Amino acid sequence: MAVQTILKYPHPLLKKLARSVVRLDDEIKALLQDLLDTMEAGPGSVGVAAPQIGVGLRVCVVDVSKSRHGKDNNHGRLLMVNPEIVERSGCAVMREGCMSVPDYTGDVERATEITVRFLDGQSEEQREIQASGFEAVAIQHEMDHLDGILFLDRVVSIATGLFRRKNYR
Amino acid sequence: MHAKDTTCFAVSVVGADRPGIVAGITEVFYRLGCNIADSSCAMLAGEFAMILIVSHKKPFTKAHLLEELKPVCDRLEMTLSVRHLSSSEEQRAETAGEICQITVYGADQPGIVYRVTSALAARRINIMDLQTKLAGSEEEPVYIMLLEAALPEGIIPEEVEQLLSGLKQELQVEIGVRIITPVEL
Repeated sequence: MAVQTILKYPHPLLKKLARSVVRLDDEIKALLQDLLDTMEAGPGSVGVAAPQIGVGLRVCVVDVSKSRHGKDNNHGRLLMVNPEIVERSGCAVMREGCMSVPDYTGDVERATEITVRFLDGQSEEQREIQASGFEAVAIQHEMDHLDGILFLDRVVSIATGLFRRKNYR
Repeated sequence: MHAKDTTCFAVSVVGADRPGIVAGITEVFYRLGCNIADSSCAMLAGEFAMILIVSHKKPFTKAHLLEELKPVCDRLEMTLSVRHLSSSEEQRAETAGEICQITVYGADQPGIVYRVTSALAARRINIMDLQTKLAGSEEEPVYIMLLEAALPEGIIPEEVEQLLSGLKQELQVEIGVRIITPVEL
């Protein structure tokens, strides 16, 4: 049990593709515990991915149950190993901030409903859930870390989304 | 945001657009060893405007910066302004309340910006970003305003909507308010 230091960009690990977990052994269980401890220690944090604490494996934790946006619609604590999004629909923009990119926030468009399949770190079984709203956003944000993607990679426009048409045809 | 041993300036440059403005101005900062901490550029009609916050290790004076920027701005026919920032100004105050995006659009008429922003100012709602565009056709111009505002602690977005609903009626414009307070992930 330990709160780990959150790596900050430009740490190279944050831009690397994480490896799949082969077996849910004690090492992975300890990693899940570290992720939970780190998430709970972060101010208002609703998720942490393994690359953020220096481990290049496809593991992340999400818990939006204590947050204002997610408290009425969530699956509680999610301990996700090798998560995969198998279905997504809808889209909405939220202004996201990330512990690995302090001081900045950006508007990011994400699916509003997702179906995620993962090896559950608690039951140690494959599990599939339908998440929506803020929980869906949080899962997509944490899963992006497993692919070396930061919200900065997804920011649509820093200024505004409204542009004058260049020409009319 | 900045180290104690640096000094900060707000620099703005405005003039008719042409190629080479950004390069011409930033070359001066690069040559002098100034950091560009924050910057924003916009083109309105054919006018190009740059506003930058630059910092430099002390000692460094406004006079020196002006002296170096002046010939470049003269050559590019741009108006220049440089303001020294006191250390308290460099720190942007954190806001405790919600951040809102307010969208206003409707048939163009005098006073849209003034009426909306004065209603907000009366409630101590601070505007952080504001952009307006004149769209539509020449016969039927449509005014679009998009602003971001920090609400004082305790004011909820519904109150802002309520606050602006009178104007919505009176000016016959659409007004939308949505929360854009960042989510921490």
